[in-house]
Amino acid sequence: MGKTQPVMALDDRPMWDSIAEGALKLQKCSGCGAFRYPPGPICAECLSMESEWVAVDGGGNVLSWVVFHRKYFDDFPPPYNAVAVRLDEGPIVMTNLIGDPPEGSWIGHRVQLNYVDHDGRRQHAARIVDAG
Amino acid sequence: MTKGLSNVAAVVGVGQTDWRRDYRDQRGGAPGRLDSPGLAALAFTRALADAGISRDEVDGLIVGPTTPYERMGELLGIDARWGGQADAMLAVIQACMAIKSGLAEVVALVYGNNQRSGKTNYGGSNAAGGASFLSYVYHAPWGFTSQGALYALMFRRYMEETGLTEAQLGEVAVAQRLAASLNPDAIMQTPITVEDYLASEYVCEPLHKLDYCLINDGGVALIIMEAERARKTGRNAVQIHGVGRYDLNTGATSMEPRLTDYYLPAQKKVAAQVFDMAGVGPKDIASAQIYDSFSCHIPLALEGYGYCGAGEAGRFMAEGNIKLGGRLPVNTSGGHLSESYMQGWGHQIEAVRQVRGTGGARQVPDCRFVHYSSDVAGKAVSIIYGK
Ligand SMILES: [Zn+2]
Repeated sequence: MGKTQPVMALDDRPMWDSIAEGALKLQKCSGCGAFRYPPGPICAECLSMESEWVAVDGGGNVLSWVVFHRKYFDDFPPPYNAVAVRLDEGPIVMTNLIGDPPEGSWIGHRVQLNYVDHDGRRQHAARIVDAG
Repeated sequence: MTKGLSNVAAVVGVGQTDWRRDYRDQRGGAPGRLDSPGLAALAFTRALADAGISRDEVDGLIVGPTTPYERMGELLGIDARWGGQADAMLAVIQACMAIKSGLAEVVALVYGNNQRSGKTNYGGSNAAGGASFLSYVYHAPWGFTSQGALYALMFRRYMEETGLTEAQLGEVAVAQRLAASLNPDAIMQTPITVEDYLASEYVCEPLHKLDYCLINDGGVALIIMEAERARKTGRNAVQIHGVGRYDLNTGATSMEPRLTDYYLPAQKKVAAQVFDMAGVGPKDIASAQIYDSFSCHIPLALEGYGYCGAGEAGRFMAEGNIKLGGRLPVNTSGGHLSESYMQGWGHQIEAVRQVRGTGGARQVPDCRFVHYSSDVAGKAVSIIYGK
């Protein structure tokens, strides 16, 4: 079976370094300001190949969610969830919801990224922060 | 009247392997009888016999993604004027393009896949397809894996937005199993009800096991011939009336097009192209063969191609429209869910059979046009087969 591991291509290292430090940085186009996620060598908006790494605030909203009932990885015993979060800065990231899940639909709930230790690796997870 | 690739080529022969027998034997512990090229080769000999032509008439060869091109040609003894490697839907389109441009006249399309006996993984730490689709592996650090999960995530949001219920989605598995119960070659033939569906286990919630395709060994082949030459053979040729394609690539890995518009803009663009090329519309289509690695492909295609209104797919299915005897019988062989998971190849030969009128107990009456559609990760393709 095996454990999960991040894709670590040429452009991926800075994001994982920032996660290890507890503040997610994403690649931002120096030409037009668009975020690139996943990171890559060129901006799909303006074709600039220049970029910088910028910390995001970590706030966002749940776009959708699933619950896995099958075992696919040794480090993820089922059942476990995965959520797609639209960050306030624009990009969509996948993460896990921690803490009590909401009643009914999860979609639209306000979340904040936290940083957790997962099997020897630091990564982000989302916690519901709805007002009230 | 020719427009684009309309009526340029016709399917003159189809063949398949004995996947029902092979599945039963492997469940009983038997090893695979043939490897992927072997399965493709067996299907090819049957397609050739069905076409009533000799191997030496074949001057083009397209092989599926699971077998190497050169080795396949070597095994079949085919030196080709034109050749390549493609998935089912693009193989049909490429054959038409080669024929239209005069690069070939008789193209063999062959596919074999020993994915069950060869233990292909579609999820987990060694997920198939990751080299081609970054979204299949990129989100794994959060345990997010498998193509089923990608569709579960997408369809959850569609369900919340449109009000489509789990019971309505269950109509897909029920309708296709009903069709499979009338198909002697289908792997799963025992009819099921929506209640059975709702009681079945989840794999990646909201999708149940019965929403997932089978994993089995098998092979499929087609012989596609230049249309005029096909007419002269006097055999039961099935015309290709139109094709269309549109690929959504931008934002694919972060799942932007998947989670915001459910890839529907791609299907709508393809609908405009394929119906215009074929000179027909949704009302002329007697049956649809829709690529169904997961059941939720069906409601999305029904909406994307205009068989029902926006957000109305759940009701359309619950009213019995996709069952045999309904307005638009879908996946009349049982499809990937109940007949055999041949990655769209089986859908092509079922379309051919329905137009020929050789569907046996599952034959759709007055079947003049059949629409094949696939939308795999936002790569939307359509083919319209007809008399
Ligand atoms: Zn840019």
